[in-house]
Amino acid sequence: MRGKLIAVGLLLALAAVMMPLESRIHAQRAELKFGGSGMTMAMRDRVGQEMAIGLLAGFRGVVADFLWIDNHGYFERREWLRMYRNMELCTTLQPQSVTFWDVGSWHMGWNIAYASRIDPANHTQAEGIKREREWQDKAKDFLTQGLVYIPHRWELYFAMADLYWRKFKTPCQARDYFQRAAQFKEAPSYCLRMYVRRVEDCDGPRAAYDVWRKRWHDGNPEPSSDGIDMKNVMRRELHRLEELLDIPASQRLISSPHA
Amino acid sequence: MTERVGFSLGRVGTVAANTFVESLRQKVYNILIIFALVVIASASFFSQFTFSEQLKFVKDFCLGAVSVFGTLIAIVGTAQLLPAEMESRTIYTILAKPVRRVEFLLGKYCGSLLLIFLSLVMMSLMFGAALLFKESRLVADVRHDTHISTEEAATTITRIHQEARDGDLVKGVALTFVKLSLLAAITLLFSTVSTSMVFNVAMGFMAFFAGHLRASVAEMMGQGRLVRWLLTIVPDLGAFNVADDIILGNAIPWSHVAQVALYGVSYTAVVVVVAYLVFADREM
Repeated sequence: MRGKLIAVGLLLALAAVMMPLESRIHAQRAELKFGGSGMTMAMRDRVGQEMAIGLLAGFRGVVADFLWIDNHGYFERREWLRMYRNMELCTTLQPQSVTFWDVGSWHMGWNIAYASRIDPANHTQAEGIKREREWQDKAKDFLTQGLVYIPHRWELYFAMADLYWRKFKTPCQARDYFQRAAQFKEAPSYCLRMYVRRVEDCDGPRAAYDVWRKRWHDGNPEPSSDGIDMKNVMRRELHRLEELLDIPASQRLISSPHA
Repeated sequence: MTERVGFSLGRVGTVAANTFVESLRQKVYNILIIFALVVIASASFFSQFTFSEQLKFVKDFCLGAVSVFGTLIAIVGTAQLLPAEMESRTIYTILAKPVRRVEFLLGKYCGSLLLIFLSLVMMSLMFGAALLFKESRLVADVRHDTHISTEEAATTITRIHQEARDGDLVKGVALTFVKLSLLAAITLLFSTVSTSMVFNVAMGFMAFFAGHLRASVAEMMGQGRLVRWLLTIVPDLGAFNVADDIILGNAIPWSHVAQVALYGVSYTAVVVVVAYLVFADREM
């Protein structure tokens, strides 16, 4: 009996000792933005019983993945709204997933938008264009929301820039997002190249030339995360712009695109 | 006059080794581990998605399977330790010898830990193989794709390698081990009270779900000091779930891993001591 009493006392004492450590762990998890939103009744209704049990057992990632796989079926059956709601649910479960935001916005801005435009159910061509634009706007809003959760990675800035450039045809806004993507050390070499190309579209070739020129004078660049030698990229781009701007040979930085 | 026998780590080791070998011979364990390995290996067959999606699915699925099968092995493996000894009456023979109850209980627990560790190692190796297989298939697909430039292919291959070879996954598996050790300790505590294996398994799973629901309950009941204090008796198993965040590419500092591990080990130590106190009082 004495042993059992000591055991209960020990368990209660454990609670007192563990509280500060638990608080520290929770604070650190919040600071590192771990996990997703808590389980709500609305979420329970949308995920089904088995998935809800999975969520309660801590398998958030697996549940989100299986829900995401459902998108494939919705896509093939052209159930765009279901697909959209499903993608929203997946990002609610795992708001830190770059893949969900990135691929989700790509589906909205490209696949669903195009399918809506050519939908035979449209009464007029204008209706198709309007519906296409609505989905592109949804893609933009989706990415904006994603950037709130993941501002520390280059991928979503790049996706937003790509959307502005290729779908909204607004190179100046695309330029700003490409620039932000290119600022990350992990960003592949094409982010920088696409940023300067949009500078060229938006502010003219002279401005683009000035960007490359400044980088050239800054000294030897580090190889980009994808292993591309940036010196070669700069040489090629500078030479092209010097030709385009017809810069006199004496003022040129690059006499030949090849070293 | 009876002579009191001192504590011996050697006897703990003997009981642990015996428990481990006995568990390995059990059909339930063998079926579970074979099934786990097959499930993990099948993860590499996710296709029809972008490479980021495929690698995420493989990692999520494999780590999920490691956690599910690890939990099953930890709970079922530990729940039958004491009831089986009592049913076969071997416990009386062992405790009649100069073996202290604490040595016996610790030996049983350590044997169970060895089993969990071995299972995790095997499942992790299979996970690594599934990931390597998926990586090689994705790289081969990119190399054979004639629609993309050489530069783009090189960039994609680099990204595939970066995403597939994530050293942080080890942190996720390490914390899973700490979590399973704690679950095994809790199940051991229940088995010192009850002789029914079914009851012990059921209670082990209840503890598992309660541990995962704790954060939600705390959220619902508010942050009152008394509520928090009472809830702390149930370990927060959600704290060990860093696998999702590792897969999503979030940096998991070692300091956080160390804190969570300290939390788990402290809990486990107290639960094992409590299990001993209950077991020491128990009439055989």
